[in-house]
Amino acid sequence: MIRKALVAAFLLTPPCVAQSPQSIEILPDGVTLSGPQSSHRLIVQGRFADGSERDLTAKAAFNASNPKVVNMDDSVLRPLANGRTRLTAEVAGVSASIEITVENYQAPFVPSFLSDVQPVLTKAGCNSGACHGSEAGKNGFKLSLRGYDPEFDHAVLTREAVGRRVARWDPSKSLLLLKPTLTIPHQGGRRFAVDSPDFRIIAEWIANGALAPAEDEARIIDLRISPEQAWLQTDAEQQVIVQAVYSDGSRRDVTRWAKFSSTNSGVATVDGLGRVKMQGPGEAAITVWYSSKVKFARFGIPFDHEITPNVYSDAPRNNYIDDLVIEKLRALRIAPSEPVGDAAFLRRAYLDAMGALPGPAEVERFIADPSPDKRQRLIDAILEREEFIDYWAYKWSDLLLVSSRDLGNSAMWSYYRWVRDSVAKNTPWDRFVRQVLTSTGNSRVKGELNYYQLHRNTIELAENVTQAFLGLRITCARCHNHPLEKWTQNDYYQFANLVSRVAQKNGTGEGDVVVYRSPSGDINHPKLGKPLPPRPLDGEELALDSSKDRRQHLAEWLTSAENPYFARAVVNKIWANFLGRGIVDPVDDMRATNPASNEKLLTALTKDFIEHNFDVKHLVRRIMLSATYQRSSKSNATNADDEVYYSRYIVRRLPAEVVLDAVSQVTRVPTRFSGYPEGTHAIQLPDTQVNSFFLTVFGRPPRVNVDAAEREHAPTIKQALHVINGDTLNNMLRDEEGAIEMFLKLGLSNAKILDHLYLSALSRYSTKQEKDALVRVLDEAEQATRADPLERDPRRKPLEDLMWAMLTGKEFLFNH
Amino acid sequence: MFRLDHQKAVSFCDGLRRRDFLHAGSAGMLGLGLTDFLSLKAQGAVHNDKSDINVIMLFLVGGPSQLDTWDMKPNAPSEIRGPYKPIKTNVPGIEISEIFPRMARHADKWSLVRTLYHTAAAVHDTGHQMMQTGRLFQGGLNHPHMGSVLGKLRGPNGDVPPHVLLPRPIGNTGGNMPHGQDAGYLGKAHDPFVLNADPAEPNFEVPDMLPPDYISAVRIKRRRKWRDMIDDAVKHFEEVPDAKLLDTTFHQAYTLMSSKKARAAFDLTQESDDTRKRYGWNRFGQSCLMAKRLIEAGVRFVTVNMFETVFDEITWDIHGSSPFSPIECYSNLVGPMFDNGFTSLVEDLSRTGWLDSTMIVATGEFGRTPKINPAGGRDHWPACWPVVMAGGGIQGGRVVGESDDIGGAPKSRPTTPAEVTATVYHGLGIDLETELPGPQNRPIRVVDHGVEPIMELFT
Repeated sequence: MIRKALVAAFLLTPPCVAQSPQSIEILPDGVTLSGPQSSHRLIVQGRFADGSERDLTAKAAFNASNPKVVNMDDSVLRPLANGRTRLTAEVAGVSASIEITVENYQAPFVPSFLSDVQPVLTKAGCNSGACHGSEAGKNGFKLSLRGYDPEFDHAVLTREAVGRRVARWDPSKSLLLLKPTLTIPHQGGRRFAVDSPDFRIIAEWIANGALAPAEDEARIIDLRISPEQAWLQTDAEQQVIVQAVYSDGSRRDVTRWAKFSSTNSGVATVDGLGRVKMQGPGEAAITVWYSSKVKFARFGIPFDHEITPNVYSDAPRNNYIDDLVIEKLRALRIAPSEPVGDAAFLRRAYLDAMGALPGPAEVERFIADPSPDKRQRLIDAILEREEFIDYWAYKWSDLLLVSSRDLGNSAMWSYYRWVRDSVAKNTPWDRFVRQVLTSTGNSRVKGELNYYQLHRNTIELAENVTQAFLGLRITCARCHNHPLEKWTQNDYYQFANLVSRVAQKNGTGEGDVVVYRSPSGDINHPKLGKPLPPRPLDGEELALDSSKDRRQHLAEWLTSAENPYFARAVVNKIWANFLGRGIVDPVDDMRATNPASNEKLLTALTKDFIEHNFDVKHLVRRIMLSATYQRSSKSNATNADDEVYYSRYIVRRLPAEVVLDAVSQVTRVPTRFSGYPEGTHAIQLPDTQVNSFFLTVFGRPPRVNVDAAEREHAPTIKQALHVINGDTLNNMLRDEEGAIEMFLKLGLSNAKILDHLYLSALSRYSTKQEKDALVRVLDEAEQATRADPLERDPRRKPLEDLMWAMLTGKEFLFNH
Repeated sequence: MFRLDHQKAVSFCDGLRRRDFLHAGSAGMLGLGLTDFLSLKAQGAVHNDKSDINVIMLFLVGGPSQLDTWDMKPNAPSEIRGPYKPIKTNVPGIEISEIFPRMARHADKWSLVRTLYHTAAAVHDTGHQMMQTGRLFQGGLNHPHMGSVLGKLRGPNGDVPPHVLLPRPIGNTGGNMPHGQDAGYLGKAHDPFVLNADPAEPNFEVPDMLPPDYISAVRIKRRRKWRDMIDDAVKHFEEVPDAKLLDTTFHQAYTLMSSKKARAAFDLTQESDDTRKRYGWNRFGQSCLMAKRLIEAGVRFVTVNMFETVFDEITWDIHGSSPFSPIECYSNLVGPMFDNGFTSLVEDLSRTGWLDSTMIVATGEFGRTPKINPAGGRDHWPACWPVVMAGGGIQGGRVVGESDDIGGAPKSRPTTPAEVTATVYHGLGIDLETELPGPQNRPIRVVDHGVEPIMELFT
């Protein structure tokens, strides 16, 4: 605890080039070298008084307690004899040591196809999608993409092309050595040099009989990256070490063969050998790919703002969310914005939680309420409102693609009713999804069954389930191993086979189907030409002949508290609804290589959600109560550029449906949707097929693909043209029974009308300055209109124009 | 401000004339102020001599097969050469596929680069990125489309947006990656104006281009002023790009409304039925026609996407099996569609002299497997494909680069997508050393160091 506080305090002063480290550490924290050819890179990581770290490997002096066992050369450790030793590193009077073990030094080096040869081929790019890894191979030579199928690759290399690729009796004649060294022409150019380490591995492997992978050979199960996380300084260089962890528990340094990339090259860049170079303040993840495994390390540079420690200690904290957000802001040296005022909080809470504007009376009441717990009470009240149900039913209908486009009208209705009822009952999220997946019977009675009507094809269904409920896109693995992720084609078809036994037949009425469990049916793996046992991604396999309902098996795994993606995916979506940006962004891209901007926060929220039984309302309450949610959207000197770490509320345009409803509420003119009763709000529509140019042009999603990007938030010229010239807003302003007509009939003064409009449209009182200026221009405009004998009421058009100006401005169209 | 319609004011019912509200300044139309423009000019990013060159990019979404279009191999075995025969063009020695008979009559006006290749993943999205931006998206960098770069550097020319995308953006093509069709790190203010409608539809028009007759010019002006007054309270929103963009879009809308010339550019009914038929009564043909009108009206860069997706639509993506397209679609649908749109464009622009100042680039995102697959189609092949270029300084009648006997790899002059980008910038007179403001104002060159234009096309 004390140490943590110290480190935190040090972070507050801007970094300076510290002369000597406070402590150093050798990474990794222990090494076993196995075999005469083994080697392992080490890093000496220095920790400095300002909380930053530095790679001091080049400056370190190494000393082995038993120098006969290992040799340290250019930060690479090599074995000399079997035995154990402590290795000590010293920099500027500070030292650290680790234990080294050398074993099997006498054993001859026999390269393994799996852990030696394939990594060379992969790193050299031989099996990449552009070369021999492509669907069609190259010049008759095809390898599995990035080596995902070692058995296949071994057969191709050793059995095809009449033994020319691998010449066991004279390794130097092997095409596998002649081509990539450009000894003979090779379209792919030179991939490695004669006698390079890569060359020797392949040559040794061939000389030793070009053995195939053994059944019981240890397989890679995980990667470990060192360091996993560090705050560095601009221009710092940091080596990253990648260890492969095998099923027998052993570890090897595979840094040389791993592939690296940076998620933010403005903060850090990385080269092919895992050397990171820091560029500027912020955070970047360095993604590491090796043998179908993906991991990342995080490096950052704090911004160079001067912030006094009390900024963080004094910042309001209402729950754990605030602790974790402040911790991040402190590390990055960004100061949080001030707490938001009551009026703006009320407007924000209404719009974010239920897509509605507060009425003028509600605004006045809330501002006047002196009780200290009024925000808590407001949140509790919102959670019980009908509009809350409308809003979240709409949101989940986007996710479940509720639409009459493919379903027809009556099926769409039964689907929507089920979604809305579930929200009304606050059905726990896991049960909600379980019901979608495992239901059987008649779709008119059980609306959730329309999910299967929408996805009649096994492939589509499998892809949709992973995308909608886990935020994972596995489409690439349909045809080959996912090039950027860990999913293999086998994973894909095992997963798809979980939903291959859903059958449908026509029911009794229009759009009515009966969904039932079919006793048989499998989807074939296209390359193997046979079905694989159904298995959820990273889950338990089910035997092909098992009598267990496959959908049940899928649902158990999918909605389990242990599933690393399920709760996390929806928590991230709900968070983004309130804070304007997912902790993982885009919200539905939860793949391993797209890291969270605050991992601790997302983990804590997910844990909270699971512990509270997947209760959406609980999570909404927790988020809305946090001081993080209740921060002003106004920036301070340090956070104007921050859109990632929640140092302020992110200003954003309201969703299409919410804008239209808000306009309708302020003008007091209901929108008329064809086929729906007058007074239906846009957010109450069950169907996105309902014709509305306004909604379409403002980015209503068509609900065709499960993709958060279907909903568009960006302002466009066409939106502007529509509100300036189009008939939606203009007709509401002209309406003979709307708010303006009411103002005129009541004979309200312009000042009174302005009071009312500020409260109803902008949820606040106008300032004196604003009111004076607008009353003046309104009066002038009225005078001008009076000259026109054709005007029925000279006040009307100026008031229409004022209202137009108010309803098209940023303050109205944006939540803030 | 350059306006043609200021003499011909339209009357409103209240007796006021359109020009009364037409004083919307348009110099800074798409977010680039005049001062920006001048300062870029001072830096040498803008050359006067070529600053009137424009570009029409025809994006052949799906990836045309080199062997069935512009790089035929009639002597290859049948499983390679495919079902189509080569025909002669009006330039001796250049032969193209029989599916483009009209194009063949104008080979003196266009040239081919037959040896494009890329080494990224063989999915549509990567090729879309590279052909439209010159780069693959890595390290968190979303590079800008060439048209957005041009818009950023030169600003609008008159009342029309500098960069227009017809008819719709590329949608899902399987990879779930960005396609490189927007302004990327330059910010949404430099995104293209997207038509998002089908210009071949009978009642097509861009909606809401003019105020309804019950709103006078005086009121339009008043509304605009009052809106600014009310929004004065939230000036601080402007540090949020989307909020700033809202104001920019209003400004752009007023500019469009106020320009008769700009509005007319989108109005295809001003063309004769014969002309419209010549371009082809389909999305692509009518988009080509609109591209011509837009360029004539001052748009600097028009991108025409031939298709929106490759799924459940007949496109160049001839895998041979559903949901993709069969190879026969080249002769009965896709080929004629391209032939009519492209050739009409070349014919019309060259007749009016506009071809000298308008560069046309027609390309897909990759080529297709030389060997026909078991489904009778061809799969993705980024190792070799052709690009068609014409106009704007590009000489006609040239073939640059030669592929091997099966069209599977470049035999001479392998050419990268970045070199095509450099060629476009060179044609536009943009210095290749020009730097753009990247994220956190990090300078990023328009093309990477060492990438050179394809000079054989110019001299």
